[in-house]
Amino acid sequence: MNSESCLSCEAIERYLGEEEERVHALRGVSLEVEAGSVHAVVGPSGCGKSSLLYILGLLDSPDAGRVSIESEPVLHLSDDELAHKRNRLIGFIFQFHFLMEDFTAQENVMIPMRKLGQLSDAQMRDRAAELLDGVGLGDKLRRPSRHLSGGEQQRVAIARALANDPRVILADEPTGNLDTANSERAFELLQNLVHKRGKALVLATHNPAIAEACDWIHEMKDGCITASHPLGTRSSIS
Amino acid sequence: MTPPLYIALRFLTHRKRALLLSLSGVVFGVAIFICTQAQTQGFARYFIDSNIGANGALVVKSRFRPRYEPLMVAAKGSKEPTSRRLYFEGITNPNEIMRVSRQFPNVVSCSPVLRGTVSARAGFENATVDLYGIDPAQHARTTDILHQLTDGNFDDFRNNTSSIIIGSRLAELLQAGVGDTVQLLAPNGEYWRFTVAAIARAGIGSIDSTRVYSHARVAQALLQQPSGASMIIYKLRDPDRAPALATRFETLFQHNATSWQEREESTLQLFLTLRMSVAITVSLIILLAGFGIFNVLTMSVLAKIKEIAILRSMGYRRIDISSIFLWQGALIAAAGSLLGCALGALMTWGVSHIPIRLRGLLYTNYFLVTWDWRHYVFATLLAILAVFIASYVPARRAAELPPVVTLRGSSV
Repeated sequence: MNSESCLSCEAIERYLGEEEERVHALRGVSLEVEAGSVHAVVGPSGCGKSSLLYILGLLDSPDAGRVSIESEPVLHLSDDELAHKRNRLIGFIFQFHFLMEDFTAQENVMIPMRKLGQLSDAQMRDRAAELLDGVGLGDKLRRPSRHLSGGEQQRVAIARALANDPRVILADEPTGNLDTANSERAFELLQNLVHKRGKALVLATHNPAIAEACDWIHEMKDGCITASHPLGTRSSIS
Repeated sequence: MTPPLYIALRFLTHRKRALLLSLSGVVFGVAIFICTQAQTQGFARYFIDSNIGANGALVVKSRFRPRYEPLMVAAKGSKEPTSRRLYFEGITNPNEIMRVSRQFPNVVSCSPVLRGTVSARAGFENATVDLYGIDPAQHARTTDILHQLTDGNFDDFRNNTSSIIIGSRLAELLQAGVGDTVQLLAPNGEYWRFTVAAIARAGIGSIDSTRVYSHARVAQALLQQPSGASMIIYKLRDPDRAPALATRFETLFQHNATSWQEREESTLQLFLTLRMSVAITVSLIILLAGFGIFNVLTMSVLAKIKEIAILRSMGYRRIDISSIFLWQGALIAAAGSLLGCALGALMTWGVSHIPIRLRGLLYTNYFLVTWDWRHYVFATLLAILAVFIASYVPARRAAELPPVVTLRGSSV
């Protein structure tokens, strides 16, 4: 992995829980993600995929190791500075989409933009409409998110993750709650965005078909990355 | 609109029942505070205005006796000679004192009064009365006597030296009306005959049941007093500054000077205690409303754990999260205070129309209220403080929630 690295971590250690329930969730994990590439992190439940994503997304701090965004170490930054980087550079997609139920689809997409504060209200509305149109929800802008189907909600979550034009998109089981057709559609959407607009995508998934379609597959087990395969150099993932 | 304010508004409007509950607590707390303060201060204000209107804001009377401490020998066992002030009764030179005191900018007008206690008789009724010998023109300028007349005419009194004005309750006691004859007993045992020219109601029981006004010259002859005045009463531009002026007058004129605050100290303290007591009770209501808001916001934090985690993942800082809940409190406080002030004004107006027949310390047929903007400001400040305290803990708790724990699907 060379070219321009937009996100990397090195020798990440993370313990979860207290005392007797303490679990060594991540054991010396290193990863480098360059712009325009899609990385799949696969492995059994509890192997540390989500923990790795939260650390890469600056939502959680590792007990040891370093994380860099665009070659700049970030772990020494204050909570507010980390929040600002999250807002500007990172887009999150969660398995259960996690939308604000009382907000419309458009308002949900506008939430990160409001925080960034670079656009006027009208501009934010236009951009949200454009993003929702891009994920096929141009006709459901004003519908409260709780009145959307599961697939539609996940597409709103994708649009929201792209709201501030982030450098990196982190997706934790983005298709885990969708049927096959919706899964494929959501993944295609993400893949197109990454390749066309030079983003980086790291996704944790159990779906072998989706993992196979990624530029890189990182296999995790017991908190370690046991193998990393670029596209076309691996046998099928179980 | 800041992002936290926008989100706070959306969160608030979503939970309408909780919003109404919180809002009603603040609205009623503020309204009751305003209404009770208006009532208690209404009675106090009425008493003060009536008192100043009848007796003046400041009274000068009794000349100081010179002190001779250097000549005095302390009694055995006593450490220092007595320092109690002694007086000569009455004003020595009232015209000169009035001439000088009129130079003070706070003095509007002043009126000399010759005062004495006599017996009054009308028909078969008798009463002990407080006779005020006055100069009608000067007294009318200095007191509210013209507005206090309930029957008769002040000009009839002014133009007839053998006429008097009597207090309304005294008139009832003597069963005397305008045009009737009232006899006053002079110290030498002679009865003097007067015609009632008018009846006055100051609104204060102790005045209305004893006060009789006559012309100063007539009173001087009747009371057989050598001095022309036993006191001078003053009308001031700013009655609140009466104590400072009293001190100044004592030094300048060497006469005892008493402000209305000093004169009515015990009654004023009674009103103050009553107001404090009511204010404490009503503040507790507002505090209870604060507890209600605390509960609502705490429940809101618990219900919005997922949303808080989402916001944090999207780059909202801890301070943004706490601001969302503080804004909710602020919006409740603002709306609650506004509605509470309106309701308070409405309640105050309603209370002022409740009939009540008071004929004791004060005379009134309706509840007395005062319209004071400070009540509204104080009630609003109190509500804002209570709501801020109630919002702070839930807001802080929301800000401290670790988003990862929620996102992992664990309970907090």
